[in-house]
Amino acid sequence: MANLLSVQQLDKSFGNHRVLHGVSFEVATGHIVALVGPNGAGKSTIMKAILGLIPTDGGRLTINSQPVSITSHQALKQVGALIEYPGIYPFLTGKQHLKLFANKTQRTENIDAIVAALGMGRYIDHKAKSYSLGMKQKLGIAQALVNRPKLVILDEPMNGLDPQAVKDLRDYIRQLADQGTSFLISSHILSELEKLADDVLILNHGKIVQQSSMNDLVTSGGTSYLISTTDDVAAKDHLRRAGIQLAPTEKITLRQQEGQTLNQALNILVSAKIEITDIVKVQHDLEESFLDMVNTKKEDN
Amino acid sequence: MGTLIKQELYKLVHKKGTWIAIVFMLATQVCFALLRKAFPKFFLLTSLVSNDYLGGGLYLFIMIASAASIIAMEFQYGTVKQLLYRQYYRSQVFISKLIVLIIQLVVLQVLASLMTFNLTALLFPSFNWGMAVGGGQTLLQQYFLAMGGNALVNLLLLSVVILIATLLKTNAAAITSGFIGYFISMAASSVLLALISRWHWLRFNPFTMLMTSSQIMTPKLSTITLMSTPLMITLTVAYTILFTFIAYFSFRKRSV
Repeated sequence: MANLLSVQQLDKSFGNHRVLHGVSFEVATGHIVALVGPNGAGKSTIMKAILGLIPTDGGRLTINSQPVSITSHQALKQVGALIEYPGIYPFLTGKQHLKLFANKTQRTENIDAIVAALGMGRYIDHKAKSYSLGMKQKLGIAQALVNRPKLVILDEPMNGLDPQAVKDLRDYIRQLADQGTSFLISSHILSELEKLADDVLILNHGKIVQQSSMNDLVTSGGTSYLISTTDDVAAKDHLRRAGIQLAPTEKITLRQQEGQTLNQALNILVSAKIEITDIVKVQHDLEESFLDMVNTKKEDN
Repeated sequence: MGTLIKQELYKLVHKKGTWIAIVFMLATQVCFALLRKAFPKFFLLTSLVSNDYLGGGLYLFIMIASAASIIAMEFQYGTVKQLLYRQYYRSQVFISKLIVLIIQLVVLQVLASLMTFNLTALLFPSFNWGMAVGGGQTLLQQYFLAMGGNALVNLLLLSVVILIATLLKTNAAAITSGFIGYFISMAASSVLLALISRWHWLRFNPFTMLMTSSQIMTPKLSTITLMSTPLMITLTVAYTILFTFIAYFSFRKRSV
C-alpha cells in the first residue's frame, strides 16, 4: 500500500535540548498509526513539524510525495489536525466554527455528516463558550475532519470524552480509514489505541524505539501464566533449579517462551508433589509492551 | 487569500462587540447632533460637523480595540494553530488580517460620514457645506482633506497597536496596551514640539508624524515641525510600513 506520509531522519532541537533524533516512519494510505510515548518524548513536536508549524533542524517530510516544511505548506491542503487542545472562538457557535473552516464543496453535507457522526446535534447551534471540555474536544475533532482530508493528525483526541463518545469516535475513525483516510493518533489511553490502530510507533526520548503493526506488537508481547500453589516458595525453587525462567514478581509468573514451557513447569511441580491450586493465562497488551519498552530503555541508560 | 479574508470577515461580523461598537458610535453622533440642536450656544456646529459629531474620535478607539484583538485573540483562544497548519503561510494569514482591518476602517468612516451628512441635512438644513473656510477651500473640501489626513495618522497608530498585539498573549492586555499607547503618543506629541525646537534632528521621530493630519489642515505648522507637508506624509507612510513589517516578523517568530 502506498505511503501517504513519510518522515525521514527528522531532527529537532529547542536551544541546546535535542528533542528528536533522526525520527523516521511512514503512514500508509488508509492506515491508522498510533504514536505513543511518555510525556516529553516528542510526540507533539513530530506532529507540529508535519503540520509545518515549527522549523526542523534536519530530515525530510512529505505528504503524498509533496514536501512539507514551515515554508512549504501546499501539501497541507489534504490534512486535518487537532493538536494539544481544540482552538475555540467563544463568540461562535459550533456550526459557525465548522462553516468557518469547511471548504465550499459539499459544505452542508460534510458539516451535517460530522455533526451526526460525533453526536453533536443537541448543542451545535449553541455558542462555544458554553461548551464542556468534551464538547469542545468533539468540536476540535469535527474541525479536523470536516473537509474529509486524506491525512488526519490527532493529538490526544479522547481527552474529556465520555465512554460512548470514545466509542462513536473510534467507529467513525475506523469507517473513514476503511474509506482511505490515513490517521496519525497520539494518546495516553493505550487500550483505545490498541482497539483502533493498525500500526504503532513507540517514541522515547525523541527516538522511535519500536515500529510495527499493532498485531505483531501485541503478539510479540507474548503470554504469561500466573500459577498458584500451596507452597509458592518451594515451587519457585524447583522451577528455577530446572532452568525455567520466572518473572521477578511475588507470584509465580511464567513467560511462555516455547510450546512446552507450561507443560514442563507443571510436570516439575507435580513431580515435586506441590499442589497446583490455580493457573491464569495473561495475554500481554499494548500498555504492557509499551511499559516494558520504555522501562528497558531506562535500565539501558 | 480570498478564503482567509472571508474567514476573518466572518469572525468579525459574528463578534457581538463589532455591532455594539457601531451602534454606540452612531448613537453618540445622534446624541451630539441633538444636543447641538437643543443647546446651540454650547457647541460650534462647524466643529461638530468636521469631527463627525464625535464619531471620528470614537471609530479610532474601535479600531484600536479591533487591531489589538485580531491577532492576540488567536493566541488567547488557541486558534492560531488552526490558522497556520493549513496550506496558507503566516504572511498570508497576517496580510488577510491587515486587509480586514482596513476594510473595517473604511466601513466605519463611511458610516460616520453618512450619519454626519444625514444628521446635518435633517437637523440643520441651512448648514452650508460650500462655505469658504480659508485657503481657498470649502468646508466640504476641508472635511474630506481632514478625513484623508486622519486616515494616514490612524494607520500609523494601528500599525503600532498591531506590533504591540503580536507581542502579547491576551486580548485584554493587547487592547489595554493599545489605548495606553495611544494616550502616551498623544501626550508625547505636544512635549515633542518643544524638544524639536531645541534639537532639530528629533523632528524625524515617529511621534512627530502623529501631527501629519494637523499639518495637512494647517500648513503653517511646518514652522514648528520643521518639515514640509509632503515630507511628513511620506514619513508617516514609511513608518506605518516599517512598524507593520516589524509586527509581521514578530508574528512570524512567535511559537505556536
